[in-house]
Amino acid sequence: MIVKETASAAKRVSYFFIAIIFVLFTLSFISLFQAFETYRKTGATDYITVTLSASAIALSSYLAIQARQKPMKLGFEPLKVFTTVQCSNCDHKNTREFQNGDFILKKVELCPKCNIPTFISSIYREATAEEEKK
Amino acid sequence: MSMKAEALSTAGTSLSPGNDVIGLILQIGWLGFFVFYMFYGQRLQIKIMLKEIESSLYKLQLIKDKGRALTISTIKEVGKTDGDLEARVDRLLEHLYIPPVELDPSGIIRRLEHIVDIRDFRFKDEVKLMVPQADETQVNNLTNMIDAALVLNQIYKIVKHFYLSGKKTSSFYIIMQLQMILPDIMKESEAYANALTAFKAGQPIGDGIGALAAAKLMNGNESHEIARDIVMSEVQIEGRTAYVLKAKGPGGNVGKPGEAIKQILEEKEGKIARVIIIDAAQKLEGEKPGEVMEGTGVAIGGPEVDKFKVEEVAAKYKVPLNVILIKEGVGDVVSAMRKEISDSVDEVSVRVRRILRETTKEGDLVIIAGIGNTMGIAQ
Repeated sequence: MIVKETASAAKRVSYFFIAIIFVLFTLSFISLFQAFETYRKTGATDYITVTLSASAIALSSYLAIQARQKPMKLGFEPLKVFTTVQCSNCDHKNTREFQNGDFILKKVELCPKCNIPTFISSIYREATAEEEKK
Repeated sequence: MSMKAEALSTAGTSLSPGNDVIGLILQIGWLGFFVFYMFYGQRLQIKIMLKEIESSLYKLQLIKDKGRALTISTIKEVGKTDGDLEARVDRLLEHLYIPPVELDPSGIIRRLEHIVDIRDFRFKDEVKLMVPQADETQVNNLTNMIDAALVLNQIYKIVKHFYLSGKKTSSFYIIMQLQMILPDIMKESEAYANALTAFKAGQPIGDGIGALAAAKLMNGNESHEIARDIVMSEVQIEGRTAYVLKAKGPGGNVGKPGEAIKQILEEKEGKIARVIIIDAAQKLEGEKPGEVMEGTGVAIGGPEVDKFKVEEVAAKYKVPLNVILIKEGVGDVVSAMRKEISDSVDEVSVRVRRILRETTKEGDLVIIAGIGNTMGIAQ
């Protein structure tokens, strides 16, 4: 079977990928060390080697940070849902967070102005940052 | 030449192909890579694609497992029981629906409706057996949750099937097709995961915008059930008598709007000036969620039984059909209703009134049907 019967919500990192990062980091470190040794012995600086090694170290560090175990987004993350309560007699409106048992057209608390029951006129969620970008 | 000058002259040349030995090695390496890619390129590509599919499959498995766990925990919470419900829920999640024979199309809609009805009743009965004290709203919401968890289970199984088939046969075309549609499958799965949280809380979903528009028109008027899970109110709009229909809420329900429209048209012997159907519609990329559009025809989703019934009866009595569509993305349809979609209700109301003024006379009878899942929306 390709995947285990029970899987954890953590991001899965391949061992092959970790090995590549490790090899890249080691080679670039050795190369940087050699460039440093050449400079110490001869006083000459191999700019190409230093630049390439430093870039490779930066790249492997970036990949290692990216590969950290982060929880995967599955779609079960709770969304912020709001309930708008409205009075049918005056223009009184009140928006609060959704509470279990709320539904549209449900009669709720008394209007502070008219003293008659208000009703839920809408229940909605704001778009997520990801949806806004699209 | 000094040591420093010598070192400087050779600095960096080890990576240059101009150096004879290194250059030769590089050329052989390139040639080797070219030959390797010529013979094994496709296999390499297959391996890369399989890795990508495997990672998505892993995510699908997580979604499916969490969906199942959430459904079971909600049933236990509503039923206030710690009983062993896993086996019963698992049996429902594996439930198969076999469509009727298409070889002889005569009467297929009647047969399809029969099968769909049996399936619906079976799911509701199973929920009632698990949670005997649940009210109608809770039964409908839990049935919706099981339906969503079943879809997630089916998606996972189908993707896994094609992944394993592609891997077994090393078929580039099976794997490529799967990889190509995978982004859409993932989007749909995440939407269903989102739906489960909305169903658990009983929040209105994007699909319910038609029902919401109808509920707003019905508000303050008496309503009664005229077909299975469909309520109707007689409302005076712009001097016309409108029979406004929607599914019975606030539990998750779509009802049988086709049957209700057919019933009214038959009862009035076709003396209905116009039928206006309000429903959610899939938006195209670039369109904004909550955009309102108009059209002609019948906009009722699902297994098309209701759509067929309305088309049949409207054609019989030559009744004009109008649709008002509210655009939404795949992710919006089953997740908690977005503000932009909820706000479109006012625009829908304006359009309904305009259509009535422009196409009907005062005193005419019209039907206005709000289609969609009425979860979290009463009447």
